[in-house]
This record gives sequence, structure tokens and C-alpha cells, in this order.
Amino acid sequence: MSMNRRDFMKVTTGASGSLVLALSIPGCASVKTGYEPETGEWKPDIWLELTRNDEIIFTLARVEMGQGTYTGLTTLIAEELDVDPARITVKFAPVAPEYRNPLFGLQLTGGSTSVASSWKPLRVAGASARQMLVMAAARIWQVPVADCATQDGRVVHPNGIDSLRYGQLVELADKEVIRGDVPLKPRSEWKYIGRQSGRLDAEAKVTGKAGYGIDVELPGMVYAVMTRSPRYGGEATGFNRDEVLALPGVLDVFLTEHGVAVIADRYWRARKAQNALKIDWDFSDALTTSTEQVFEGYRQAANDDPGEQERSDGDIEEAIKSAGRVVEAEYEQPYLDHATMEPMNATAWYHDGGMEVWAPTQAPDLGRIAAARNSDLSPDDVTVHTTFLGGGFGRRLTQDYIEEAAAVAYKVKQPVKLIWSREEDVRHGLWRPAMLHKMTASLEGNELTGWDHQIVGPQILDWYVRNAAPAQYPWAPKFLYNTLGRVGLMVEGLATPKDISAIEGAIGYPYQVPNVSVRHTHTDPGVPITWWRSVGYSHNGFAVETFMDELAHEAGEDPLQFRRKLLDSEPRHRAVLDRAAQLADWTTPVADGRARGIALFKSFGTYVAQVVEAGIEHGEIRVYKVTCSVDCGQVVNPRIVEDQISGGILFGLTAALFGEITFKNGEVQQSNFHDYRLLQMHQVPEVVVDIVESDVEPTGVGEPGVPPVIPALGNALFALTGKRQRALPLTAG
Amino acid sequence: MALSLTVNGQQYTLDIEPDTPLLWVLRDELGLKGTKFGCGAGLCGACTVHVDGQPARSCSTPVELVVGAKITTIEGLAKEGELHPLQQAWVKEGVPQCGYCQSGQIMTAAHLLANNASPSRDDIVAAMTGNLCRCGTYARIVSAVESVVNGVGHYDPVQEGA
Repeated sequence: MSMNRRDFMKVTTGASGSLVLALSIPGCASVKTGYEPETGEWKPDIWLELTRNDEIIFTLARVEMGQGTYTGLTTLIAEELDVDPARITVKFAPVAPEYRNPLFGLQLTGGSTSVASSWKPLRVAGASARQMLVMAAARIWQVPVADCATQDGRVVHPNGIDSLRYGQLVELADKEVIRGDVPLKPRSEWKYIGRQSGRLDAEAKVTGKAGYGIDVELPGMVYAVMTRSPRYGGEATGFNRDEVLALPGVLDVFLTEHGVAVIADRYWRARKAQNALKIDWDFSDALTTSTEQVFEGYRQAANDDPGEQERSDGDIEEAIKSAGRVVEAEYEQPYLDHATMEPMNATAWYHDGGMEVWAPTQAPDLGRIAAARNSDLSPDDVTVHTTFLGGGFGRRLTQDYIEEAAAVAYKVKQPVKLIWSREEDVRHGLWRPAMLHKMTASLEGNELTGWDHQIVGPQILDWYVRNAAPAQYPWAPKFLYNTLGRVGLMVEGLATPKDISAIEGAIGYPYQVPNVSVRHTHTDPGVPITWWRSVGYSHNGFAVETFMDELAHEAGEDPLQFRRKLLDSEPRHRAVLDRAAQLADWTTPVADGRARGIALFKSFGTYVAQVVEAGIEHGEIRVYKVTCSVDCGQVVNPRIVEDQISGGILFGLTAALFGEITFKNGEVQQSNFHDYRLLQMHQVPEVVVDIVESDVEPTGVGEPGVPPVIPALGNALFALTGKRQRALPLTAG
Repeated sequence: MALSLTVNGQQYTLDIEPDTPLLWVLRDELGLKGTKFGCGAGLCGACTVHVDGQPARSCSTPVELVVGAKITTIEGLAKEGELHPLQQAWVKEGVPQCGYCQSGQIMTAAHLLANNASPSRDDIVAAMTGNLCRCGTYARIVSAVESVVNGVGHYDPVQEGA
């Protein structure tokens, strides 16, 4: 990307004599930026502020939910500004078009995009600020700009002795105009990018000082709990208001679109009062499904509708018809919960004609829409303050919990914090969709000649547009919101991106096979769904890489060799595959009672191969070791990359071993960590993460660790037992 | 009903229903937000505090049961402005990801070290396995605890909450 600084740089002096660097990049911002001839205004992006007192404040526009943006993005700007990242104060961004994620057109943190989308803009912002400070110092000293250096927050005179603090220069730097491009530091001069470094938020998080959504405290704040329909879509028609209202501390009890809200002066009093609630439910529009019916419905749909052709190479029908051998398999994958450690919560305060919201959210601009939905407010009347997030994993991309808190706050007209219990969090979630995959392949001898992959299930935008569409159509009046959801779908691929949530990872099938068909049979059982760490890749990874393993065995080949011979044109795939196999000693025999499985999967631009070594002990699956090779391009913080990949591996293992949300007559059957289990410390395998050294542009790391570990474990269990498991979670029996 | 509590060496008298879980008393009455709500059923350990030096799940501990006890929370671990060795180790190892479970993890680890100055890896895992972490920081937690065991001096439980 070639950019001319003059075209889009704007520097202003803040009210307190601080230098505010404002920057907007044509073609990178989601809204039209730059100079507006009609109004004579600039629309800048704003990330950085330097003060006379040498404070450096960075506005972080991608939320921190554990994935490390707080450290990683600060490192990018610090590198070019030439200051220690630890010296920078990080502020969470308010909602503004300038802070939108250019890849989505929404102010949203997800899709493993934070570093990739910030890689250039933030370095340019840092470099530009540094350049103006140097120009100011050079002017004072009357020396050439090129002869000045910077060192940890100071500009150094060509004599190597004198220096000026950045803070001393901000006022003068404000007047400097950069002509031409600001050079970015060459790799050889990097001090922070690519080096091991700690996390800037670690101290706050080990002392209890990091402020999560649930920690928000406001004067006069009251507490709310919501009782939702036990079956999705049910409606409360009546309840014992007077009885509950008489209980200690209860301030109000009322009906909302989401259920019955109890407001009390203390959280525990609200919970106790909730237990006394007796609600009449109208279930006429409620979910009635059971899990078995979901999969029966999928099978029926798969037979009735071959699905939309999403990829077609060669002639799959002919390949299968004329094949020496045809192999078929069907894979079932369940609904999964996010189970963030911090339950859903939000605090809202309706005052002075507007609404303030404090929330751990992955999409604060969608939070504004959600908060405005059940009131006479417009999204512009809503201010969202983003906090630290106690986990996200996609759950906090949907703003239902903000909508609830705002609906309550609109009525009670004082600050109110609404907290979900864990049981509510598990039962009233939005899930990773259950999916069915029907696979057919043709083999000639040991050559794979045809690959047909039919994906059966819903797609997420159908559920998400209700939240997202109004943010994408800011001109639309509020009464159109629900319609906009449908409009968003109708113009999918034109005004909104094509929804690939069901097919991602399947359409990118990397193996060189002459006939490839990928189809999606779109069917929706009415169970609420949303993004879940690695989204479509999570289920396509299991289907594709388990079936590849099945085919290797059908062809009588080693699963590693079977894959690698089909990767001549995919060098980065093959490199991580080889590396993982090498590190895991793939060719050497494994200890008795153990077996290895391998899987390779690219997601979010990042190539990941994993070898799992597993066994069965005392009737339980035991994972001993996971060896992972990852190619995510240029690494900003190796420690965080390793943590994200290994965290993704444990997240995937949790799903493979325990993950399952089931329904009976429309009700979720799980409720807390005893029946929606998370991997515990004694179950954690040794995890080796090896990162490919690379200088290509960085790609995502938050999610790509998840998909391959699930099939790799299944493949190991097949190697151990000879029994192929085609449904998740995996069992030892 | 007025109840007296000693938290991080400070005495409080509160007018609160006796069945209120200690967690909500710490968080909402005393403003000690470092102790977290995770499950409300003693299943995840995010709310772990020390009661007379013993780890307790504050979400499931009615406040009436801890009247007169010495309670220590994550805010009470640092002494005279210096972080507890485990907190320092957590920072050095870069343990936290989302960080939400880490107060509970550290409180559980602090109890372990107070009672066993040189735990083996198995001891560490056995003591810590009841504390859930959704981000998957377990390996770094083990390393951080081991770094304290092998290096820095550990702290004296008798002094806790004093």
C-alpha cells in the first residue's frame, strides 16, 4: 500500500496542550475519510496522544478479551514511535466510525484480524508522530532532520549528547507538515516487534485491578436479573408481581421483551426474589426441538436439497460414477457453548435523554444499536464504554445482554447492572451451530480423484444481521431495523459480504484433487447461533481432516504421506505439516497403549498442522502431547502467539472431549460446569508450539489453533482402536 | 443484621442478610472487585479467597459462616506495596490471557505454597485442577508456581490477613 502522508495527515493541538495525531488512510477506513471539499473538513482516525508531561496515550480500538491486542497493538505503535511499549497508557476506544475494523465495516473484534488489520496503519501512525517530533527538534537545533535520532521517548541531537524529550516537543511538532512518505523502520531495527515480551495488562490482571464489565460500579446503582423463557421464543404472559415486589430489597418487577426483570438494591436480593417468581409462559412460538430431531431434519434436508454449489473443480459426478472405489462418510457435530469465564453482563444508565452503557463487548457499535432498540433513543444517543472482557470467543459479538440491560435501565432510570448466572449463560446462549457433513470421495488405486463435501446446517448471518445491519446502514430509521436484517440478507454479496460461516475451510480445500465439489444445504432448525472461536472452520476442520484420514487408510497409505503428496502447489501447508511431523517424531514408533493422529488446517490466513498423541486410560481418553507447527507470517509477540495457539488447542480439546449442548423439547439440558465441562489442569497435555519464521504480512492467531486438534485427536483414537468416530464429542468406548 | 468481618486485616461491620454469599459482600459491599463470579456453585474457583488461611469458594460461602474469621482476597496478597511472589511470577511468565480466573488461581496457588514449600509438579496440578481457565493458561500457571518454588522465597501464612 503506497500512501502519501500529505493527503491524509492532520495534526491538531488538544485542549491541554497535547499533540493529537490524527490519521486517516484512504481505502483502509470503513467510512469515507480524508478531506471533504463540501464541508471543508477532514475525518481523521485517532489513535495517539502525546502530552507535555511525556504521557503517551494509545487508544485501542480492538477489545482485549485475552487474545493480547492490549499488548500487541501497543507494540506496533511503540516500535515506530521509538518508546518502550510499557511506557504507553492504553485507553479503550469509544464508538466512532474511525475505529471500525476495515475488514468488516463494523467496530468489531473477531475473526482473528486485529494484528493483521492494524499492522500498517498503527505503524504509520507511530512513525508519523515520531517524524514530526524529530522535525520539530531539528528546527530548534537548526540541524538536518536526517541527522537526528530517537531513543526511548527522546530526540537525540546529531552530536549524540543533547536531547529533547518528546513532551518538550509536542507543541512545536504540531506545526510540522510531513511531505512525502514516512519511512517505516526496517526489520533490522525493530526493538519490540518479534521479540519476546510480557503482557502489558498482566499486572492489572494479577492484582484484581483490571476492570471487567462485571466490576463496573456507579453511584446509586441497582441490580437486575432476568428470567427468560426456558424454551427459546416463549413469552411471559403473567407473573406474581405483588408477591415478589414485597420481598426484601426488591425495587421493581416488570415484563420486558426478554422475560421478567427483577430489580433490587443488591444482587443477592434480586437472585433470591427471582426464585420466588411464578411466571405463566406462552410457548406457542417456542422452540420444541430435540437434538435428535435436529440431525433428522438435517438428513432429510440433505436428501431433498443437494445444496448450493460453493466450489466446483472438474466433474465430480463423473469422477464418482467411474471410480474404482467410492468412500462415503457422515459427520455429526453438536451445538457448543462459549462458556466465557465472565458471565454475560452489562451496566446501563438512562439519563439526560441518553443512555450510557458499560459492557464487555466485542462490538461496541452494535451494542449501541442493541441499547437503542427497545427505547425511543437512536443509536447516536447511546454511549458505550468498553471494559476488559473475561473471555469472548465470539459470544460477545451478539449484544443481547446489552439489549436487556438497556431495556431495564430505560424503565428504572437509574444505573443498573444486569448479571447473568452461569446457568442462564449456558441455557440462554447462542451456540456454535450443530452441523452435518456428508462426504463422498473417489479413489483410483491409492489416488484420490474426487472429493464431494456436502455441508448441512444454518449460517450465522441469518441470526446476526438483526444486530449488524443497522450499523451497516446508518441512514436507516429505527423502525426499519428488523426489515434491514432481511435486506442485509437479500443483498448478501453486494451490500453485505457473502456469508461463508458454514463453508469456510471447506471451500478452501487445499489438496490437489482433480474433481472437487463443495455444497451447502442451507437449513435452520431455529436454534439461536452465533460466532464461536474459529466458526465454520471448527466443524469443517473435523469433517475434512477426519475424512482425509479415512481416505489415507482406504488407500493404504500413511496419513502424513497421503496428505503431503497432494500439496505440491501449497508450500506453506506442506511446510507446517512436515515440521509438525518432524517435531512429533511421526515416523518413530509410539509408546505402548498410545497412538498418534495428524491434521492440517488453514484458517484466518494462518497455516496450522498438529500431531496429537493419545491413549485411553481407565476408560477415559487421555491426551499426552500436542505438537503444533504454525505459520502466521510476521510475528509481533512470539509469547502471545504461542499462548493463543496453545489456548486454541485446549479450547479445541475441550470441544472434542466434552463439548455438547443438547436440547430436549426445546430446552437446553446443560446448566453449569458440572455438565458443560471445561478441560482441567490435570487433563492438559504437553503442548509444543513451533512458529515458522516469516516476514510476510501477519495473519490471525486467536482462532487457528482450534480446528486441527479435534480431527487430530479423532485420528489418533482411530489409530489406537481401529474404530472411527464420526460424531463429537469423542468417547473412549 | 449486623455482621463483623475481617478482610485483608481490616475490620468491617455490615448490615447484610446472613445468607448472602461472601463473594457479593466482598465485591459489592466492600468494593473488592478482584474476586470474581464465575459459576455460583463452587465449580470453577474464580471466587477463591482464603478464610483463616484455607481456600474457600466465596460464591458458595454464606457470609454468616465467616464471621470472626480472617479473610484474605487477591487485594490482600501484596505486602507493603510489593506484589506477592506468585503475582510477580504471574507477571514474569505472562500468565493471564483474559485474566478473569487468575485471582482465584493465584489464591489457590498461594494456599498451596503456604502449606507445602516445595510442591512437586503433581502436587501443583492436584492443588490447582479445581480452578478452571477457559483461555487455557494452565501450562503457564504451572511454570509460574514452579518458578516461585525454585526461586523466590514463599510467604508466611501466619501473617496473612493480620
